[in-house]
Amino acid sequence: MQKDQRLLDLAALLLKAAEPVSWREIQEQFPEDYGGKGEAAIRKFERDKADLLELGIPVRYASGDEDLPAGYLIDRDEFYLPDLKLPPEDLALLYLAGSAALATGAFPYARDLAHALNKLSFAARAPGASEAAAVAARRLGEGDGGAPRVAPTVEELSRAIALKKRVRLAYLGAERRERTEREVDPYGLFQRGGAWFLVGWCHLRRDLRTFHVSRIESLTVNASAPRTPDFKPLQEFSLADHATREAWEYAVHAPVRCKARLEPPVSAEVLASFGPRARVREDGGATLVEVDATNGEGFLRHVLALGDRAELLAPKALRERARAVLDRLAEELA
Amino acid sequence: MSAAGSKRRPAGARAKVSSKAPARAKPGAKPAAKPVRGPARAPSRAAAGAPAAPKKADPRDRLRRVLFLVPYAVRHPGIPVRDLARRCGCTEKELLEDLDFLLEVGSPPFAPDDFLDLYVEGDRVYVALHQSFSRPPRFTESEAAALAAAAAALGGEGRERAVKALRDSVPRDRRASFDELVERIYAGAPPARDSVLGRLQRAIAERRAVRLAYHSASRDAETDRTVRPYTLAQRFGHWYLYGHDAERGKALAFRLDRIRECTLLPDRFEPPTEAELARARLFSEAAGEPVRIRLGAEAAPWALSRPGISLVERTPGGGAVVEVAGAGNDWATRFALSLGGGAEVVAPAAARRAFAETVRRTLARYA
Repeated sequence: MQKDQRLLDLAALLLKAAEPVSWREIQEQFPEDYGGKGEAAIRKFERDKADLLELGIPVRYASGDEDLPAGYLIDRDEFYLPDLKLPPEDLALLYLAGSAALATGAFPYARDLAHALNKLSFAARAPGASEAAAVAARRLGEGDGGAPRVAPTVEELSRAIALKKRVRLAYLGAERRERTEREVDPYGLFQRGGAWFLVGWCHLRRDLRTFHVSRIESLTVNASAPRTPDFKPLQEFSLADHATREAWEYAVHAPVRCKARLEPPVSAEVLASFGPRARVREDGGATLVEVDATNGEGFLRHVLALGDRAELLAPKALRERARAVLDRLAEELA
Repeated sequence: MSAAGSKRRPAGARAKVSSKAPARAKPGAKPAAKPVRGPARAPSRAAAGAPAAPKKADPRDRLRRVLFLVPYAVRHPGIPVRDLARRCGCTEKELLEDLDFLLEVGSPPFAPDDFLDLYVEGDRVYVALHQSFSRPPRFTESEAAALAAAAAALGGEGRERAVKALRDSVPRDRRASFDELVERIYAGAPPARDSVLGRLQRAIAERRAVRLAYHSASRDAETDRTVRPYTLAQRFGHWYLYGHDAERGKALAFRLDRIRECTLLPDRFEPPTEAELARARLFSEAAGEPVRIRLGAEAAPWALSRPGISLVERTPGGGAVVEVAGAGNDWATRFALSLGGGAEVVAPAAARRAFAETVRRTLARYA
């Protein structure tokens, strides 16, 4: 029997059974598939059980007691998607967030995300506006030339991350513009400025490394022992810490205190762009921002990007650099 | 063909083969000589026109689809094939193939009333028996984790509540795995609380219209718009609002970074209809001439790996000229300056002028 059919039949059988179904009964129901004697049939059944679990269908074995026979069952309370019991605004957030992510064309577990959004319409009592918003967001992502090139890579990396499988990358370095082959233990994916990055333990460099997903030219996931993890992420690793580092927080030099002045009106977005570790204070209508930078150049670029609404005040050398950059640009533009 | 004869024609005008065989036993009754399942079905599969499987399809994909399809059809009796296909995110042809597949689920020795049964009448789908598939299964940990990561990036006050509810909706023994997965995706920092994005989220949730101070690229001027916000989408690293513009009388896309101010209005609106949403197309807005930026050797590889930036030509020494569609002058200026002197805006003339003026004004601050 086809596997998809067998899995669904098995789920249907266990779901409607009033009591646990014994191994013998299961064998009788699926004579072709589990009918054989010995280990092979059980192993096949165990694989199917694992597949069902991955689909959100919890099949378990009950060892039985005086009231119930031993056998396999699906606990219905554990099977059916419960009502999320969230207020409408939280549901709207989930719909929006999921749909917007899906509409970008590349998001980890994108296929799962699509299923999740479908299920959400059940788990929500009164979806209404939020569901409509979700449909609209997904529509926005349709028909504009297909998903970006990185989407399949992101999807494949998602799987490797979940199963902790080692990957082999052909990677195009940024400045060196050279192609390297390397083995990486994928720890996680993060997004910045609309682009996706992979963080992982690089066996070539023997260190944690960040990879721009769009520069991954080819990717192979270690295919051996698919259900056995290849690695264990470093205990102290935190993807959020890694991903929220601002450009000026990359370790390039010893920490230097940097200061910038922002002219009013300063929008919430601009303030937030300096990150959670920036110190902000008002100064006679203007806003002063102070950070400890280990990559002054990163801070310089961030301030320059704000145009004439911002001015780099300190350190002096960095301010001079800003002026030199602008001088040269002004000359070229003249 | 008694089975098919007693029923309306199933999807794809295919007969149901093994169902309701007269010899079927009652549940509980020990099944005697059981019909073997596989072979009995083989011909029907062939008759279905061999559900062409050129790519190696994961059988679980179909299962996930039908585990949503069945309960959805149960809840919406007589839903048109087209609508159901759209909800399932597949084509009508794929949906009909799924329905065919479902017709073969459950086989002897089940009792007739144990069958999972769907039929298509006209172009509408009905479920006769659903085999307890009246609700979809719980979220898998990757479904819930993807949704949680998306929610975390979008922020909002209910984010933590939502993530907790998602966690509770994963089968108990998969929750640890959910926790771990959530730590492995970081989809970006949530927007600042009073940011335009934050306000729009609230407006959409509460179905309230907004007034926008919007910089219109086509006119290069700021205009006041009253908009019923339908949804938000992120494309090429930009956030867009899609909503109904009261003045223009139609739904439009607005780039969030061109919204200078956003105020929630007291009036509420009805959610958009399917027909309205069907017209949603993100880049239907006149995008204007793409902005052209010249990049130095250091900036070029970095900029080229950003989404939405396309290469026009390589320049000697490792530099490049790139184009960005739909970028405003402001955005282009900020982008070029963020490359620390390694880039300049070259065209169109208005964008170059805006860039030059910003450089001049900024330089004046360093005098």
